[in-house]
Amino acid sequence: MSVVVRRTIPQIIVALVIVLMVVFYFFYINADVSKGFTTADKALSDWAIVITAIAAIVGGIDILRYHVNQIRKREKRQIVFSCVVIVMEIVMVLLACYALYSGIAITTQPNFQWLYTYLYAPADAAMYSILVFYIASASYRTFRARNPPAVLLLIVAIIVMLGNTSLGAMIWEGFLPLRDWIYNVPNTAAFRPITMGIGFGLIILGLRLIIGKETTWMGRRE
Amino acid sequence: MAKEEKRKPFGMAHVLYTLLIISVALPLLYPVGLPIGISSTTKDVYNYIENTLPAGSAVLVDLYYEMAARAELEPQAAAVVKHLFEKNCKLVFVSTVTYGPIVFELLKSTASDVFAGKEYGRDYVFLGYVAGNEPAVRSLAESIRGTVAADNYGNSITDYNKLPMMRNIDKAEDFKLVFIVSSGTDTFGWYVRQWYTAHNIPLLFGALSVIGPSIKPYVDAKQAIGMLTGQRSAAEYEVLVGRKGLGLAAMDAQSFAHALILIFIIIGNVVFFATRAKPKPKEVGKK
Amino acid sequence: MIELIGGWLAAVMIVWIYSFVYKDNVLYRLAEHLFVGTAAGYSIALSLDSLNRTAFGQMAKGMEYWHLIIPIILGLTFFFKYSKKYYWIARYGVGINVAVGAALALRAAPMANIIRQINATILPLWVEGDPLKTFNNWLMILITLGGLTYFIFTFFPKTEGKAGPVNIVYKALVTIGIYGMMVGFGYLFANTIMTRVGFLIGIILQYLQPRFDATVVAMILAIIAIAFAVMKKK
Repeated sequence: MSVVVRRTIPQIIVALVIVLMVVFYFFYINADVSKGFTTADKALSDWAIVITAIAAIVGGIDILRYHVNQIRKREKRQIVFSCVVIVMEIVMVLLACYALYSGIAITTQPNFQWLYTYLYAPADAAMYSILVFYIASASYRTFRARNPPAVLLLIVAIIVMLGNTSLGAMIWEGFLPLRDWIYNVPNTAAFRPITMGIGFGLIILGLRLIIGKETTWMGRRE
Repeated sequence: MAKEEKRKPFGMAHVLYTLLIISVALPLLYPVGLPIGISSTTKDVYNYIENTLPAGSAVLVDLYYEMAARAELEPQAAAVVKHLFEKNCKLVFVSTVTYGPIVFELLKSTASDVFAGKEYGRDYVFLGYVAGNEPAVRSLAESIRGTVAADNYGNSITDYNKLPMMRNIDKAEDFKLVFIVSSGTDTFGWYVRQWYTAHNIPLLFGALSVIGPSIKPYVDAKQAIGMLTGQRSAAEYEVLVGRKGLGLAAMDAQSFAHALILIFIIIGNVVFFATRAKPKPKEVGKK
Repeated sequence: MIELIGGWLAAVMIVWIYSFVYKDNVLYRLAEHLFVGTAAGYSIALSLDSLNRTAFGQMAKGMEYWHLIIPIILGLTFFFKYSKKYYWIARYGVGINVAVGAALALRAAPMANIIRQINATILPLWVEGDPLKTFNNWLMILITLGGLTYFIFTFFPKTEGKAGPVNIVYKALVTIGIYGMMVGFGYLFANTIMTRVGFLIGIILQYLQPRFDATVVAMILAIIAIAFAVMKKK
């Protein structure tokens, strides 16, 4: 296929959808047209919802493919673990399909519910919470008063740590109000430029997509 | 130093890990019951729901958090939901992250006292997981019926015999408040853009402690009526609504763990300055 | 009975995952792969659930929702990414998704992220009878301006000889911006500890404490696995 079909048309569609959605949002001609705009705008949002759901399914299949390949390569240390991944993934999907076949909601299927409550949920919680050990270790290894900005960071962190817990109030009653003041004034002012920066970033990303400068979403280069 | 410690079977870092587990576990087994003060930000949220939010209002609650974040966000959600139920609010729960159905079921089981006496379909509804992120948030603002055909349990949204409260609730304008309980940063931005900016619906943030500071500018710019930040705000809200939950239970352990980490920060700095003050071997040679 | 087994499984999974902080071992890897498999399956299942209620369920309601057949086809184009020849077809599905997300952000971000933030920073520089409020307002304005200067003017032309007033103002604002951000990051660091310790507390209260027996058994097994890993390395 030509480059026009492979690259140019998808880029034009992207630009067109963005321009149309901006027009739908900002322009008002009359009540009937406005209603049409809103309907079309919502339809496009609904499309994204459906596409995202299918994309997540493709993501799950990617994991399956990766582990099937590991087994094919006969990686000695990995083969058993890859089998575990594949079996668990297939079991979960089969239970979901069985629920759909039985006409009940997937998340209420008893076996599916048991697996996500007692296996997935605690494992997920453990995976995320394991970071606490590295944060504690980092505070000991790297949290040092090397220069004036680091001294300020250290002082603020200690005040906030004392204000966050009952410990601070036992030493001095003022830690909580002081923490609140830091939160409401200097902290807000410090993060405001970052919030504005995100806004600028979103606008620039949209404009780059419209003019066809942003191409990373297209994946592999030709 | 790091390399040296890697070689050791039980180095300084491992001592710290073990002490951390002990400092958290001991106060949980033997609670001390240290008192906690109420911060002005939590009081503001409580006062808004108590005095400004009309009784019986429809409130959207987005549960967007993973399992680990339950410890910080579930007590917040339970305390606020209790307060909202006390004001006879109609709650529409939804989740824009796949964890939603799990965390909703866990919330219901751990806060069974909060949901007691409330009837599904009449007082609250769970729409389940809706994929799509920001587009999902935008679509729900336009029309719930036009976005999801059924709730999490397969009941049709338009089956008003089963879900009578959904008869008068469909679009953003039907809600008086959106309570976003999220462990992510983006979620708050989605609602600020698609619900507050586009429809002017008041928002209430329920954030992790680590997320709170970065989304504070939205609250300061009055794009949200307030914010609850982490376990500390949860504990404070539990005090305000009179429900002892995980937030309060965790405060002693938080204090002990923070004390331990503070001690380690001080030791780290003392070691840093002591080693920096020592002349390097090369310099000794020069002298 | 089924809940008892579940409680044991939950505690065992957590202890084996935590054993990684001491050393990578076979039980950690087993728990990790059980988690990955379940997570991938759960993600597919929940996406099917969402698809069922937001696409097929809606289409069953009437012809007005039949336009949803288009995103279903566009979504299915994602599978072409596995083809070496037809991978580009997936771009049509990805493109619509990217475009909708970008458009939704683009049209509301100027108001939500920029104008409202500027409005909130326009504060009175003198508040009668309230010196703290005056001080707070000055601080808010200066740190915000300082941060913006730091982010936007990432380079500044060097001046020959004595620094001019513009240069002095620039340097002063950048310094204020850096120190302001240090305060913000200090707050963030303290709150990070709060969050992470909170996660650990949750784990202990919700999973390990209720099944203490399982925790002890899993710990013994983990210690054996770690010892085995250490011996194998030696």
